[in-house]
Amino acid sequence: MALTFSVQAECGVTRARAGLMTLPHYDVKTPVFMPVGTQGTMKGLLPEQLEDLDCEIILGNTYHLGNRPGTDVLKKVGGLHKFMAWNRALLTDSGGFQMVSLLKLAEITEEGVKFKSPYDGSEIMLTPEKSIEIQNCIGADIIMQLDDVVQTTFQDNDRIKEATERTSRWLDRCLKAHSRPLEQSIFPIVQGLLNSELRRQSAEEHMRKNVNGFAIGGLSGGEAKDDFWPMVSLGTEVLDTRRPRYLMGVGVAVDLVVCVALGVDMFDCVYPTRTARFGCALVKKGQLNLKQKQYETDLTPIDKDCSCSTCKTYTRAYIHCIVSVETVACHLISVHNIAFQMHLMRTMRENIINGTFVQFVKNFMSEVFPNYNYPTWIINSLKSVGINLCENYCSF
Amino acid sequence: MRFFTKKLSSGSERVGSMTGFLKTPSAVVETPTAALLTQGGSVVHLTADVLSRVFSDSKLLWVPLSNSAHLENGLKAQGKGVAQFAGLQEHFTCVTFQNMNEVTPSGHFEVDKVPLWTKHGKKMISADRYMDLMEVFKPDIILAIADSRMSLEEGYKRIAKSVDRTTKMLNTCVERYKVSKELQNSCLVGVVVGCAQSRKLEESLQHFLRHKDILGGVALSGLTDGTEESNDVPIDKLEAIFEKVSNALPKDILHVVEGCWNPAVILTAISYGWDVFDGSYAVKLSNLGHALILNFDVTRDMKSSYLLDLNDECYKDQFVPILESCECLACEKHTRAYIRHLLNTREMLASVLLSIHNLYHFDQMFYHARQHILTNTFEVYKKHIIKQYESYRSLKLEMDIAETEPDHSLQVKKKSKLVEEVTNNNYKVNCNNI
Ligand SMILES: [Zn+2]
Ligand SMILES: [Zn+2]
Repeated sequence: MALTFSVQAECGVTRARAGLMTLPHYDVKTPVFMPVGTQGTMKGLLPEQLEDLDCEIILGNTYHLGNRPGTDVLKKVGGLHKFMAWNRALLTDSGGFQMVSLLKLAEITEEGVKFKSPYDGSEIMLTPEKSIEIQNCIGADIIMQLDDVVQTTFQDNDRIKEATERTSRWLDRCLKAHSRPLEQSIFPIVQGLLNSELRRQSAEEHMRKNVNGFAIGGLSGGEAKDDFWPMVSLGTEVLDTRRPRYLMGVGVAVDLVVCVALGVDMFDCVYPTRTARFGCALVKKGQLNLKQKQYETDLTPIDKDCSCSTCKTYTRAYIHCIVSVETVACHLISVHNIAFQMHLMRTMRENIINGTFVQFVKNFMSEVFPNYNYPTWIINSLKSVGINLCENYCSF
Repeated sequence: MRFFTKKLSSGSERVGSMTGFLKTPSAVVETPTAALLTQGGSVVHLTADVLSRVFSDSKLLWVPLSNSAHLENGLKAQGKGVAQFAGLQEHFTCVTFQNMNEVTPSGHFEVDKVPLWTKHGKKMISADRYMDLMEVFKPDIILAIADSRMSLEEGYKRIAKSVDRTTKMLNTCVERYKVSKELQNSCLVGVVVGCAQSRKLEESLQHFLRHKDILGGVALSGLTDGTEESNDVPIDKLEAIFEKVSNALPKDILHVVEGCWNPAVILTAISYGWDVFDGSYAVKLSNLGHALILNFDVTRDMKSSYLLDLNDECYKDQFVPILESCECLACEKHTRAYIRHLLNTREMLASVLLSIHNLYHFDQMFYHARQHILTNTFEVYKKHIIKQYESYRSLKLEMDIAETEPDHSLQVKKKSKLVEEVTNNNYKVNCNNI
């Protein structure tokens, strides 16, 4: 079996659950955050550092890896795990999203995504079959179907309908082309943008397929948060509870907490490592921009409660001195930011298992919003799964 | 800090140890050694966590002010010195004025000041200001401020000025050092300049000797301006200077050579009793995407083992370590193909892995030097390493000539043959090494 998923504990009030996802390379504890290592590396960190940070599964990008080092090299070495010396689990995307977002000239037809190579200008066609062929070669534990990507804030309903239905047709082609079903699991991607009818239809169609898990895609692309959460909720409502659900492109702390409550098991986002590059360290209340002058003589660690190697050794003052000048600063903040994400997920998991998840969510939100000025989307989304934040507020 | 020479062998080369560091009195740094070059107080590309995975013992850190002067305010607030501030408290620091691994603009001198070229522009620094900074940085070793960045080709006038300025500044450093409470446990090292003009060098040496009771060491500078051409001095020219300066000075002090010198120069200097080097050569290689692959086994004759340029496409499917016999973290887990991919995609991990290997391997070169000194076989080892450097150098010259070949296909053919000679030879021999 390429994937078995067992739910170990359920929240009881919300849809949150703690699970164990057994993959060929590693047993992954959910809910899980998956840091993104685009080109077969995680922003200057060694694989042993990622292991020390408790990363159990990381992401690679098919589009980039297919270009460099290329499938020939990956085939020869026996897959990405060996190439990058990472022995735990991997997930790859389908490459379609990158193509559409990176390459303005991409053209999508029933056959696939046609685009001009940024390397030599030649015309290339990425079909569902081709995407799976590359992903089979990369050899990640979980791989993604090629989906028809439309910008999240796109309005034309005919196009959204076409994309949603095409995504389902492409899923069949992906499953058919898959040559390593015993070692790799294809996740279908629920599409439909912000149209709940299409989304429900997409999820229901995917449910009928013989797959080991699902992804919820087409969100986190600039839509209003009030539009975002109902689509997540609809996804986790329709998709069955026996298989893991992966919400693509979400990684900000409050979003993670809300979406875990809505029943999501897996997340990925470039945010913690990208923001590190700009000198920003994640803390509960948001970020510290360590470039700011106020940290020049601040002798406290980024987060006094954090046990990462950066916070144990370095002060804000020191990182301030070298931020955006030395690569070391970027490594130090990346370590902390990944530790921050991992710690948050671990804490949620423990609270789900201990039956204290609801209280955790309330405490978490009141720390992030100390004056109880909760955004409506957070109040509404949590209310939909039985957590009343205002109750807390009224008792004061 | 105290320095003892432990073993004087039949030649002038010696094994010594630095000890008595204030924070970790039991720690010892054996010499000859290369310091680890830092930028902004951190070992280039490596966090304290990663560094501790590479070296389990305490190392000497080389801290040039040109890339760390901006730590001043933070250091003042913290008050415990640069090693602690940079999270490297178990290591020792040698603070210097400049980083000879960098090329800086020339000129811009004032009577009692020398220009410090930083990322934030030029700052004119006097000896007094320098010693103020030392009281904040609190290094274990202080290289006195000097006007020493010049090649051996430099004209007489400039050299005379540099000796004058260095002399004056050393006087100030010594006066400040004598009365400084903060620097009681630091070792002050005087800088000798004027190497290109024997009369001026003599003057510099005489002046150094006037302070010999205060100074714990000598640093030889003024051999290069940091440029590639200026670093490429015929070795016999340097050899004469290493010998002359070493002979003119007391034996029991620490002997330091500043500059981005290749292994052939370093081993030559060691043979005249020089103990500490700035280690910037390893950093230079890492930043170029090169990996040093010296063979330390003197019983094996290897012609073209010296370095790999991992930018080269020929490594794209070589799934073997940089150096099969190397025990560093990078070679234990990662391949040439992977590092080549990281270089090709400009990923930061390339610099991390190359730094790990090059620093480790460079350190091993010194470890083997110490072993050979102890067993009186240093001369053989020195020749063994110099031979590798020289055959690489002639190979590289051939490659540069191939580069100018007008017929492109012929050029590619010639080059690939040379590259093949380097890579295959290495790999085979290194396999045999295990
Ligand atoms: Zn931390
Ligand atoms: Zn190595």
